[in-house]
Amino acid sequence: MFLFKRKLYNSYRIDTNNKLAAALLGPSILFVGIISLYPLIYSVYLSLFNYQLTRPDKIRFAPLNNIRKLLQDELFFRSLLNTLIFTVITVAAGLILGMVMALVLEELPKRFSKLRGVLIMPWVIPGIVVGYLFMYIFDTNVGIVNYIFLSLGLIQKRLPWLMRDNLAMASVIIANVWNQAPFYMLMFTAAMKGIPESIREAAYAEGTSRWNEFFQVTLPHIKGVVVITSLLQIIRNFNNFPIIFTMTGGGPAHATTTSVLYIYKVAFDQFDMGYASLIGIFWVIILMILSVIYIRLLNKDY
Amino acid sequence: MVRRKRSIGWNILLGAASLVIIGWTLFPVFWMLSTSFKNPTAVYANPPEIIPKEPSAAGYQRIATGTVGYTPISRFFLNSGIVALATVIIAIIAALLASYALSRLKFAFRKGVMIGVLVTQMFPLVVLLTPLYILYFRIHLINTYQGLVLAFTAFTLPFCIWMLKSFADTIPQELDEAAIIDGCTRMGILRQILIPLLVPGIIATGVFSFLDAWNNLLFPMTLTTDISMKTLPPGMIMAFGGEFKHDWGGMMAASVLVALPVVLILVFLQRYLVEGLTAGSIKE
Repeated sequence: MFLFKRKLYNSYRIDTNNKLAAALLGPSILFVGIISLYPLIYSVYLSLFNYQLTRPDKIRFAPLNNIRKLLQDELFFRSLLNTLIFTVITVAAGLILGMVMALVLEELPKRFSKLRGVLIMPWVIPGIVVGYLFMYIFDTNVGIVNYIFLSLGLIQKRLPWLMRDNLAMASVIIANVWNQAPFYMLMFTAAMKGIPESIREAAYAEGTSRWNEFFQVTLPHIKGVVVITSLLQIIRNFNNFPIIFTMTGGGPAHATTTSVLYIYKVAFDQFDMGYASLIGIFWVIILMILSVIYIRLLNKDY
Repeated sequence: MVRRKRSIGWNILLGAASLVIIGWTLFPVFWMLSTSFKNPTAVYANPPEIIPKEPSAAGYQRIATGTVGYTPISRFFLNSGIVALATVIIAIIAALLASYALSRLKFAFRKGVMIGVLVTQMFPLVVLLTPLYILYFRIHLINTYQGLVLAFTAFTLPFCIWMLKSFADTIPQELDEAAIIDGCTRMGILRQILIPLLVPGIIATGVFSFLDAWNNLLFPMTLTTDISMKTLPPGMIMAFGGEFKHDWGGMMAASVLVALPVVLILVFLQRYLVEGLTAGSIKE
C-alpha cells in the first residue's frame, strides 16, 4: 500500500535473530496459514476431484474432468469477458474522476481543505450499503435516475436499468466508480504534494499553460503512483463482490456475472466444489502474475 | 511563492467543477438519509420529495423491531460489533509483533515473508471459501464467533502488518540502540519505545481492520448457516431478500445504521486514516 519511496532510517538491522523473528511472526503466519494458505493448497487438491456436495456418493478422483468442463463452459468465458469489461471501465473511469477531484481540490483556496475529508465518504461506506443504495437509485419505478432522465427529456419512458444487459453493467460500474474515486483522489493528492514548488513556479514563469503544466510537470511526476494505484485497483476489482452481488446478483441472464460471482454460484448454488476450485485456481494464477508485477513496480525507485 | 493569476472564467469553471464533484459524491448519501425518513407511500411520490414532507422514523422503528425468522435484526448489529472489535484487537497485537520483526530484525527468509505479506493481500477471497467451509465444518467452527474472528483477522492481517511496518520504519533505529545500551531487552524496546511512538499507526491499522471486518460479506455469508450468527452484511441480504423487499424506507434506514459507525470513524479518525493510507509519503 505504501507507494512512495520514503527515507528509511533502518537501512541496516542491528542483529540477526531467527528465533525471536519466528516467535514474533508465528501468530501471523498461523492465522494466514489456516485461512489463506491451507485452503489454497486444498483447493488445488479439490480441483482434481469430481466433488459435488449434493452427491457425496459420486465423489471421485477425476483430474481431467473439471478441465474438460472448463474448456466447454460458455458461462466461464462469458464471466471472463464480463470481468474484463467491468474492471477496465471501472478503473479507467475511477482514475480519471479521482484525478479531476484531486486537481480541483488542489486549486481551491485553503479554507476549503476540509472538503477533502467529506469527499472520502463514499470510499468507507460498506459495499453492501453502496449496493442497496444504487439498487434504489437505479430502480425502475422509484429510482431517482429515471426521474431525472425523464424530466430532462433524455428518455421517453422509465428504463429498467438493472434488468437489461448493458444498462445493468453500466449501473454496476457507476456504483463502483462512486465508491472508489475518492481512493484515487487520496493517492494522487498525496503524490502531488511531493512536487517541488520550484518546478511549478518555473513552469509558470516560462508561460506554460495549465494544460501543458499538467501533462509536462504534474503527470510525469506522479506517473509511478498512477501506475501502482491502477494496478492495485485492477486486482481489487477482479475480486469485487458485494456491490455487484447486491445490485444484480450477476443478472440479468449473467450479464453482470463476473468471475468471482461465477465461482460463488458454482460453489454455493450448484455445490460443485471441485469445479469451483478449478476456476478459482485459474484466477489465483492470473492474480499472482499481476501481484508479481505490482511488487516489481513497488520496488522500483519512483 | 508565485501563483498563477486566476481569471474570472477560470474561477467560474473551478466553482462549477467543485459543485459537480460535491453533488456527485454527496447526493447519494443525502438521498439515502432522506429516504430513510420517508414513510412507505412517500417513497413513491412523483415528483420525489427531496426532503420528506412528513418525516417519520418508522423505517428505523421497523429495523429496531424487525426480525428475520426468529432472529431480531438488532442481533446482526451485536454480532458485527463483537466480531469486528475482537478482530481489531487480535489483528493489532499480531501485526505489532510481526511488523517489529520485519522492521528491526535480520532473519532467514525475511524477503520471502515480505513478499508473502504483499501477495496474500491479493488473494481472491472467494477461492478460499469452498475449502474453508469444508475445514470449518470438520473442526466445528461453523456458526461461531471464533471462526469469524479467525477468518477476518487472517484476511486483514497482511495489510495491517505492511502498514505498521511502514510506520515502524520511520522511527529512528538510534532509539533502539540507545535503549539497548541502557540495558533494555528486545521486547522492552517494542513495549517502551516503539508502541508509544506508533500510536498513530496503531490507530490507522485498527481503523482499517475494523472496516475490513465490518464490511466483509463473503466470510459470514458462507461460514455461518445459523441466522442468529450472521453479521450485518449477510443479515441485510436476508432481511431485504424476504418480507422487507421493496421497503425502501426501511432499507435506507438500515443502510444508514450500517454506514453510521464507519462514517463516524471517518469523521473522528480521518487524520490517521489518510496518514495510514499514504503513510509518511509527504513529510520527512
